[in-house]
Amino acid sequence: MTTPTACAQVSVFLRSFLIQGSWNYRTMLGGGFAFAILPILKEIYRGDPPGLQAAIQRHADHFNCHPYLADLALGAVCRMEAEGRHPEEIRRFKLAVKGPLGSLGDALVWVGWRPAVVLASLALALAGASPGVTVAFFLVLYNLGHLLLRVWGFRLGWEGGSQVGDALRSLALPRQAGRIAGAGMFLLGAVVGLVLARDITPGPWAVLAWCLAAVGLGLGRQVGQRGWRWNLWAVMGVIGLVFLHGWVE
Amino acid sequence: TLLGALLALDGTAFGQFMVSRPLVAGTLAGWALGDAALGLLLGGILELYFIPVFPVGGGEFPEGAPPAVVAVATAWALPGPGGVALGVFLGFVWSRLGSASIVGLRRLNGSLAPDPAQGPVSPGRVAGAQLAGLGLDLLRGGVLTLLGLLVGGWLAGHLVGVWPLTWGLTLGLLVLGASVPAGALVVALGGWKRRGGLFGLGLAMAVLGSLLL
Repeated sequence: MTTPTACAQVSVFLRSFLIQGSWNYRTMLGGGFAFAILPILKEIYRGDPPGLQAAIQRHADHFNCHPYLADLALGAVCRMEAEGRHPEEIRRFKLAVKGPLGSLGDALVWVGWRPAVVLASLALALAGASPGVTVAFFLVLYNLGHLLLRVWGFRLGWEGGSQVGDALRSLALPRQAGRIAGAGMFLLGAVVGLVLARDITPGPWAVLAWCLAAVGLGLGRQVGQRGWRWNLWAVMGVIGLVFLHGWVE
Repeated sequence: TLLGALLALDGTAFGQFMVSRPLVAGTLAGWALGDAALGLLLGGILELYFIPVFPVGGGEFPEGAPPAVVAVATAWALPGPGGVALGVFLGFVWSRLGSASIVGLRRLNGSLAPDPAQGPVSPGRVAGAQLAGLGLDLLRGGVLTLLGLLVGGWLAGHLVGVWPLTWGLTLGLLVLGASVPAGALVVALGGWKRRGGLFGLGLAMAVLGSLLL
């Protein structure tokens, strides 16, 4: 096994922050993956330009997964390349992990962690925190989870190599994603409660506001995520009509 | 323009530290203009509308940073509830333009990125495509923000005194619209049947806390 220098490993990790730099519909993360792994490939194939060329060629092919968990795949593939594994084995490994790493990252980060931290920050702002405190709270808390996930993923991938799937399964991450989503649900309730209780004076208007909010929530539940476009158009339409009314008046 | 361009990079191409979220981008824009509270208000409103949309796979999602910068600058140029309404309106328009420009950039990246099936791929070609993608994204964010600032400034100058609603009604209208994405987020977070109790608990604690304090 060729042991890459710590400098090359750190370089791969830092380049992983740019992995989506050339994201496209043909190779998706492929170009970014090849770009990130380049420092380690240069060490492994030192003095072997055709070998380096062939390795780059393989890694620039189609690949896609969650950008944060791409570090896990990068760590494991670096290990496999360093161990001199057969290119076909590495190709099959990448093919096998891209789907699970994509869906796991989506559940853990996009659906779980990000909305939960956004909602916690909004609740903080509604409770009276200053803009600086709100933004600092969001950035520090979110990126604590983000950076820990990247570092942990890269190390787990490097230590596990082709066996990283077993280590990943033993951690039961989907269960953790469910817990984060539960916290997000609690915080969503808190934000709705703070908005309605804080800014609306008790009385008939408050009852109307609560009823309309309930209708909106029910409508959102029916249309789900796919309704975001028409909701924007609907609100834009109402704002436009109010401006038009004011203009005519 | 520079703020919008730099923050837009964080959206997909570089890092994803979430400085591109409307909550952060809006507050930073407000800070730059000397009114961070206005920035937080606009950023928070846009965040409520964009929160249930996730950048899953190659799916389309609303752009966050340039629209938030445009929204805050517009609201700052037209003081009062009308400025907030106009800012949110332009923020929505620019989020859709941002989405479309991201799709266009990704298509362009496809023609710049090396295709292993078509011939040899050199390390220089891979690094070049990556840097070109980053540079184009920076340019895209800058042009988008600049256009938004020009349109926002022009509209703010022509709509002084036109908005007829009070602060309360304006914010009520915007919050009411945000209840629809909140409902969509409930579905994404597991639904009423599975986690409705947690939603109710959060709601009850927030209302009780507000009443007691």
